[in-house]
Amino acid sequence: MTTIVGIKTKEGVVLGSDRRASKGFFIGSKITQKIAKVDDTLAVAIAGQLSDAEYLIRVAKAERKLLELRRGFPLSVKESSRLIANIAYSGLKSYQPYFVELLVAGVDDEGGHIFAADMSGAITNEVFASSGSGSPIAYGVLESAYHTDITNEQAKEIATKSVAAAMERDPGSGNGIDILIIPNLPTLTVKTG
Amino acid sequence: MSDNSYTNIGMSGGNRYPSYYGPGGRLVFVDSALEAVNKGSTTIGIKTPDFAILSSQIKPTRPLVEPSEKIFTIDDNVGATGSGYIGDILQLVDEIRLHAQKHRVSFETPIEIGSLARHISSYLHSFTIYSVRPQAASILIAGRDQTGIQLYQIDPSGTYFRGSAFAIGQSSEIALEVIQQGYKENMDIEQAIQLSNNAIEKALAEKPLIATGVILKEGTFKKLLIN
Repeated sequence: MTTIVGIKTKEGVVLGSDRRASKGFFIGSKITQKIAKVDDTLAVAIAGQLSDAEYLIRVAKAERKLLELRRGFPLSVKESSRLIANIAYSGLKSYQPYFVELLVAGVDDEGGHIFAADMSGAITNEVFASSGSGSPIAYGVLESAYHTDITNEQAKEIATKSVAAAMERDPGSGNGIDILIIPNLPTLTVKTG
Repeated sequence: MSDNSYTNIGMSGGNRYPSYYGPGGRLVFVDSALEAVNKGSTTIGIKTPDFAILSSQIKPTRPLVEPSEKIFTIDDNVGATGSGYIGDILQLVDEIRLHAQKHRVSFETPIEIGSLARHISSYLHSFTIYSVRPQAASILIAGRDQTGIQLYQIDPSGTYFRGSAFAIGQSSEIALEVIQQGYKENMDIEQAIQLSNNAIEKALAEKPLIATGVILKEGTFKKLLIN
C-alpha cells in the first residue's frame, strides 16, 4: 500500500507521500507520517511495514550519529543509504527481513541525492523515484512531468500531482498529501558546465 | 610471599583474601589507576543552574604533532572530558556515546545524565572485580536533561559523584581549592571559564593551552575554540 515519491532538483530534494495506513481492506490510519526526518539534511520516505521501517531508521540514526561524532563530520547521503541498505541486507540474510521499500533523500556537499532502498539490501541512485502500491500511477505523472532543470517549487508541484493521481485510483493510498523539501546546504557552490 | 601477596594475582599461596586486596583492604589495582589519573592533565567541570562547562589542560606536544582532543560531544545534550590515559578515555567516551544512542533507539528521547553516569560507573566497576587492568581514567560528564543541568564525576573504581564543581588530574587539589573559593551560583559563563582557567593555571603554575566545552539550558553541547 502507500504512495511515496522522491525528486532530485538542482536546489535540493523533494519527498512526497500520502497519509493512509492500511490494515488489510481497512483504513488503519488517515494521518500517518510516512516521511521520517533523520536530521535537517536527510529524510526517509517509507513504504511497507511501518514498524520495520521505523526501527530500521532509528538504528540507522544512532549509527549515523556515532560515526559522525567519531570522525567529526556527517555522513554523505550515499553513506547513509548504504548504512540503511546494509541493515536491510543483514535482515534478509538472517531470514528476518525488514519488509520495507524506502526512498532515502538528502543533501550533502555534492548537492541533492535520492536513493531507493528495499528489503533485499539493494540501493539504486535515482533522479526521481516512487514506491508503494500507488507507484505505477505516480510514475506515469513523474515520467511525463520531470525534467532535469527544475526548482524545488516545481518539484513540489510534480510530487503533489503524482501522489494525488495515485490516490485517485489506488485503494491503498489516500487521505491527503505530505511534502518535505530539503534545500541544498548553504555552503554548496553549484558546478556549472 | 604472604607479606606482599597483593603483587601475586590469583588465589595461590593460601592467602586469606583474593590477592587483589592489599594492605588495609585497598584494591591496589584500582589505587594504581587513580594514581595514574592524578598524573593526567588537569581537568575541570563547573555547573550552575544555568549552564555547565568542562575544561581540560592540553599538554604540549612535540613540534609538528597535533595534541589529542580532550572535550568530547556525547550526544546533542551531553559532553564529556577526562583525565588519565588518553586511550582509556577514548574507549570510555565510545562506551558513553553508544549507551546514549541505545537509549534513543529504545525510547526516542535523549538520555538523562544520571543514567549515563550510572552506566559508565558499572562499566568501570566491572574492571575492578576481575584480575584485569582497571581503566586509568576519571571522567567528567556534563549535560542537560528533564531535571536541568547536571555534572558528574566517575572514577576508575566505579564511584560516581554528582556536584557543582570537580577537578581531576595533576594538582587537582589545588585547582579544586581555587574553584571552591571562587564559585558563585549566579556567575555567568565567562566568569566560570575564567575561574576554571585560573584554577588550572594556579595548579600547574603556568599558562597552558585549555580546551573548553559548554552546555546551556537551551541548545546543544558546544566545544569552544582552544585558547
